[in-house]
Amino acid sequence: MGKRILIVDDSESIREVVSFTLENAGHDVLKGVDGQDALKFLDGSNLDLIITDLHMPNMDGIEFIKNVRSKPDYQFVPILFLTTESQTAKKMEAKEAGATGWIIKPFVPEKLLAAIQKVVR
Amino acid sequence: MEKFREKFVEEANDLINELEKVLLELESQPNNAELIQQIFRVMHSLKGGSAMFGFNKMDKFTHHLENIYDLIRTNKLAINNDILNITLASVDHLRSLIQEKDDSENTNRVQHDLLLSKILEIINENVMGEENAKTMQPMTPRNKKEHATYYISFKPHPNIFNFGTNPLYLIDELVDLGQAMVFPRFDKLPGIDILEPANCYLYWDIFLATNQGINAISEVFIFADEQCDLTVKKISELNLIEENSFIGIIEKAVQNKQEINIDELVSLTNDLEKIYEKEKETQLQAKITTTADTNISSIRVSSEKLDNLINWVSELVTIQARLSLFAQETETNGLLAISEEVEKISRRLRDDVFSIRLIPIENMLTRFHRLVRELSQNLDKDVVFKTEGTDTELDKNIIEMLSDPLMHIVRNSMDHGIESKADRKKMGKPAKATILLKAFYSGTNVIIQISDDGKGIDPEQIKKHALSKGLIAADVEISKKETLELVFLPGFSTAKQVTKVSGRGVGMDVVKRKIAEIRGEVDLDSEINKGTTITIRLPLTLSIIDGLLVQIGETKFVIPLSSVDKVYEFKHEALLNAVNHLIRTDNNEVAYLNLRKLFEIDGTPPETEHVIVVQYSDVRIGLSVDNIIGQYQAVLKPLGKMYKNQQSISGATILGDGTVALVLDTNKLITQFANSEIKVGG
Repeated sequence: MGKRILIVDDSESIREVVSFTLENAGHDVLKGVDGQDALKFLDGSNLDLIITDLHMPNMDGIEFIKNVRSKPDYQFVPILFLTTESQTAKKMEAKEAGATGWIIKPFVPEKLLAAIQKVVR
Repeated sequence: MEKFREKFVEEANDLINELEKVLLELESQPNNAELIQQIFRVMHSLKGGSAMFGFNKMDKFTHHLENIYDLIRTNKLAINNDILNITLASVDHLRSLIQEKDDSENTNRVQHDLLLSKILEIINENVMGEENAKTMQPMTPRNKKEHATYYISFKPHPNIFNFGTNPLYLIDELVDLGQAMVFPRFDKLPGIDILEPANCYLYWDIFLATNQGINAISEVFIFADEQCDLTVKKISELNLIEENSFIGIIEKAVQNKQEINIDELVSLTNDLEKIYEKEKETQLQAKITTTADTNISSIRVSSEKLDNLINWVSELVTIQARLSLFAQETETNGLLAISEEVEKISRRLRDDVFSIRLIPIENMLTRFHRLVRELSQNLDKDVVFKTEGTDTELDKNIIEMLSDPLMHIVRNSMDHGIESKADRKKMGKPAKATILLKAFYSGTNVIIQISDDGKGIDPEQIKKHALSKGLIAADVEISKKETLELVFLPGFSTAKQVTKVSGRGVGMDVVKRKIAEIRGEVDLDSEINKGTTITIRLPLTLSIIDGLLVQIGETKFVIPLSSVDKVYEFKHEALLNAVNHLIRTDNNEVAYLNLRKLFEIDGTPPETEHVIVVQYSDVRIGLSVDNIIGQYQAVLKPLGKMYKNQQSISGATILGDGTVALVLDTNKLITQFANSEIKVGG
């Protein structure tokens, strides 16, 4: 079943890779270029999953996750964040902000989909 | 994937440019935390992307670089000149790395290793004894290629499923870190009569060989650490997963359903350890790749497509002119209206399409900041590079072709113009010298001025030098302006000695030629001890000229509107009787040039002739023509090679009726006239 997934990343190429992979798997993809920009999608409509980068201009991933969690409609939507393996502290921070899990960059499409499978039923 | 990769290369080039720019800003405001943050973020994006799209060398390289700025960001390290220098050198290196097709290419291997070792030096100096030395571990060269073997005991609590965690996914993730042998243990499984289906009774013993370090392993369990018992232990510095004897030991242990005795394992592995072979040294190649410049824009189009588009629009404008003419001649009802509509649309289309090619000159200024910065250090001079009007837009092609001559001018200023620190002090000048690059619009031209507050150029010295080189005759009287312009002559180079900075065998003559190639003009002004200003006048775009269509006999010419000052009518008689080819216009005397004579066109001129006064720098001359047809937008087509040496025509254009009109190069015409006083009047 296709899901409605929001991806937030300031890198166009990463955004494209992720959305290409997800769309090929039959999902609906919304794209935000940074946390600030992505807030516009939190309009009360259904989201099945949010995937966000951590380092972004204007509003970074942590701040964005906190923002998502502060909205009653989105308290339980799974949030995965994109990260590199070297950022333990960031992972803890994101977890505390309310993230559900993470996807390690770099990833291959299969791994991305597998990670999504874990959190989206 | 390939197309994403290409996209990333473009994106990375932008990021690298941004990085360079911010680094230079950082130099002047080293305490600006926002800039550091921005640098860190850009590096992080570079790292993430390069790993994603298979630029492994770049990934590792930026990883280390990022670490430096992470230290700075968290106030563990202060920014200093060394770090800036290394980072800027790294920026250049990144530019060459991003051009590599795959990792087997060894662009500038020497440079790569050198920079990497410097970067690691900075990091190592600063994390010694730090608590986070552990996280830095993977970046020491010894560890980067080596896998170590770990034992992991993973015992989920029975209620783990209640938290939405699936232990198998965690194991999957663990296995992804390297090579693993996973042994599920069933001995806690109760009898079917008391088994609670929603509970987890299994646990796992896992042997994992990975180069990611112990932290990566713990991280897998970050979100599950409250729902399981976890033991992680390193059992060998080497990858033992492929060792048969090791596999034998653990398989035996597991089959016997014994708790695995880790200490025993560790002692056994000591015997297995052996020295790994060194990485094969690939041949060093100092291949210099030219990095392609990229422009900043939100939509990316290949310049080839853009060129095609512009070409077709040019054709459209030409054919539209024919349509207008045809419509006027046939006077068919309705056709005229349509043709006017088409004219309006194609004009807008043309303007819009041409504006696509326009980019702000800011894009090329970063490298000047860079140049000035580096030369300041090399020459031990204290120079600030200031810019004004950086949002002035120019055709991308012009900007590209402009870069080299401008670099040369700046280099000259730095080397010859700006005095040494001691000399400046002696002269009572401010210690910090200034080079100012100013850009602004002037009609359909863009003016770029580069001025310095250095020692200026001494006309007497120029004259002497020109004499010694035989460029001028001893008895000739020339004005200051003319004297200064001697530096543009081929074979003129005043540098007392060939210096590292500007003594490259190219002089100002090359600068002038390069700029003339893009229909630009260079002007030089200098005041002793005050400084030198070089002014470059450029057309906005190369391929369209707004002009005045004129006629002499049957031949049509286009005179660029940008140089037209005024138009007068004169009786042929009056022109014939003019003294010294000077005509009086509005209380001014203007020399005029008889184009009919210059171009050797037969026939007699009409009773009333038109004189078009054109201006170039300070010189005004009149051009006499038979008739003015009107304003015309000429799509400039170059003349063939055979005509490349002629001086008065810059190109040709095809008129609405299909005939050809020549486009006059008024600037050259005027210069020629002013220099040689061609006797073609009357």
